[in-house]
Amino acid sequence: MRWLQRHVRPEQVRELSLLILIIVAVIIFGSLISGYYTARTFNRIASSVAIITVVAAGQTLVVLTRNIDLSVGSIVGFTAYFTGMIVAANNGLPAIVVVLIAIGMGMAMGIVNGVIVAWGGVPSIIVTLGTLAIYRGLLIDYSGAKTITTESLPKWLVDLPTTELFYIGSIDMRAIVVIAIAVVIVFQLATSLLAFFRRFYAIGSNPDAAALIGLPAQRMVFTAFVLSGALSGLAGFMTLARFGNITVVAAQGLELQSVAAVVVGGVNIFGGSGTIFGAMLGAVMIGTLEQSLFRLGISEFWRDAVLGLLILLAVASDAVILNRLRALWARSGMTLVDKPATLPTTGEATR
Amino acid sequence: MKKYLLAAASIALLAGLPQVAAAADAPPPGKELNMVLLPKFLGIAVFDQAHQGAEEAAKELQNPAKLQFLGPTPENSVAGQIEIVTNAATQGVNAIMISNNSGDQIVPAAKAAHDKGIKVVTWDSPIPSAEGEDVFVAQVDFTETGKVMADMALNILGADGGKLAILSASPDAANQNAWNKAFQDILKNDPKYAKLQIVDLVYGDDQSEKSYNQALALVDKHPDLQLIMAPTSVGIVAAAKAMQDEKLCDKIKVSGLGDPTEMGGYAKNGCAPQFALWSFVDLGYLAYYTAYALATGSLKAEEGAEFKAGRLGDYKITKDPTREKGLRILMGPFSVYTKDNLPQ
Repeated sequence: MRWLQRHVRPEQVRELSLLILIIVAVIIFGSLISGYYTARTFNRIASSVAIITVVAAGQTLVVLTRNIDLSVGSIVGFTAYFTGMIVAANNGLPAIVVVLIAIGMGMAMGIVNGVIVAWGGVPSIIVTLGTLAIYRGLLIDYSGAKTITTESLPKWLVDLPTTELFYIGSIDMRAIVVIAIAVVIVFQLATSLLAFFRRFYAIGSNPDAAALIGLPAQRMVFTAFVLSGALSGLAGFMTLARFGNITVVAAQGLELQSVAAVVVGGVNIFGGSGTIFGAMLGAVMIGTLEQSLFRLGISEFWRDAVLGLLILLAVASDAVILNRLRALWARSGMTLVDKPATLPTTGEATR
Repeated sequence: MKKYLLAAASIALLAGLPQVAAAADAPPPGKELNMVLLPKFLGIAVFDQAHQGAEEAAKELQNPAKLQFLGPTPENSVAGQIEIVTNAATQGVNAIMISNNSGDQIVPAAKAAHDKGIKVVTWDSPIPSAEGEDVFVAQVDFTETGKVMADMALNILGADGGKLAILSASPDAANQNAWNKAFQDILKNDPKYAKLQIVDLVYGDDQSEKSYNQALALVDKHPDLQLIMAPTSVGIVAAAKAMQDEKLCDKIKVSGLGDPTEMGGYAKNGCAPQFALWSFVDLGYLAYYTAYALATGSLKAEEGAEFKAGRLGDYKITKDPTREKGLRILMGPFSVYTKDNLPQ
């Protein structure tokens, strides 16, 4: 126990237990569904989780700062559609330019969110609920009710989701999955190693203390929204590549899926704790459940109910179990605790 | 000379006959009528085509009032449709053309509009109970849709038959439900299709991603699936793309109702060897003519009434055989597309 306490943080216990839960779930589903342990099941879950994971990575950064970004679904849909329109008109554009256009578009929308939240002082849930409707509205209006079709896109883009970059055994790693994994690795490393990214935790876990030591809270909140927008832009590009046919409903409801992934992945909705890796695990857990419950023949409505239950459990366990764990760690005199064991209760906390 | 006259007279008589028998009048042009065209929701290519057709009819009929193409946003389809119908009634437009996505939930709003003297024409998808509706402009006969789907399935799977699944749009769409039922009925009752077995019915809500994921999930759930039948233009493309992405086109074919401009590639590469559709441009055109004729009073919404709808010719209002109550104008026909007859 002491060894465990010395080397593992309470938050990591949380992620470890989620990992174990995923493994248990896979074993249970594997015994119930014939032909479950195949490369196909892996591919299916991996590709359906890839897009949510990228969005959830951005969402994590925002949630760490005690905010929320509900406009991500609209940003993904908007960038998927308009990037598609640009590529359809200019089939010769190099891949990197297309990706940059998508990221740039998402970033611009993130900047709008960030400015209003950070300097306008409007609660993020209200701002992003507004921009969710505005971005989707702009998309519907400017799309002229047309559909982007696979036919009009260049071949490299249409083939991208099935492009296999390399193999691990019989499992082929597809480009779109590799993009998602790369995003997780980059942002996980940045948030655990770089001082600049650690500030997200600082201003989220104790805004007053962060202000006292002179951290630019507004600029950090702004940065979180811009990064979330940029990652949503990237996810928009991935959506375009994967589905090919983009209508104005593209990526609708993704905001809730991303919040669900973040919360199930152990990111504290009140800010200050949680990791990108955890958010990915959350996305994988949800993806595994959705795919597997469908194959078991369980109706869509029950699947949604199971998902809801999972979110409740995640948040409740966060409040109860994690606090106990932290207390345990604190009692044993370990100094690894990086967050006070209290939930924020001040008015400031709801910002 | 007398002979010639007689011949000429009989020819004139013959030529005149169809006109006399049909007695179909074209509606008087140039009337100022405010009309609303309401699709299920915005952002679907085929509804845009219907809008084109309606604009074409509006131009021909020289209606000085601008046609309002109003639709709800996709996530708000049911409530949005009801709201648009209610607002149109308050504004006092002359006619509303609805592709109903709200089942019978739209009845109170449609009835209120109808009671105010507004002509309510449904097109593409009717009001199931027909309450508050003057007439339904049916793209094709709904029972025939079932047969066309069954024939395509038989053509693709061959005499040995096989397992197939339906990928529909939303559970509230009256047209989808009617087609699926007609399809299921004919497979059950006609021995010709005895070897075609429907193993599942799922809904993709006319959302590309959801339809794509549902198609993949069908494949996983039913390892010996051979055909996905999607009677929706969004679902069929998504399913075809999914099968292509998973390199399953050799094993699992896609068919159903699809837009040839979107499906061309999949017809050529064999993922969707056959699919069918009618012209949505014509459907919008006919819906506009019908609503316009009703609003001018030159056409009465009753069984047996006839009128001339511009370039499409003569139409007759009949009882709708697929609904208990309700009148219908039948457009038709189906075009079945293969790689050999794609429009350029």
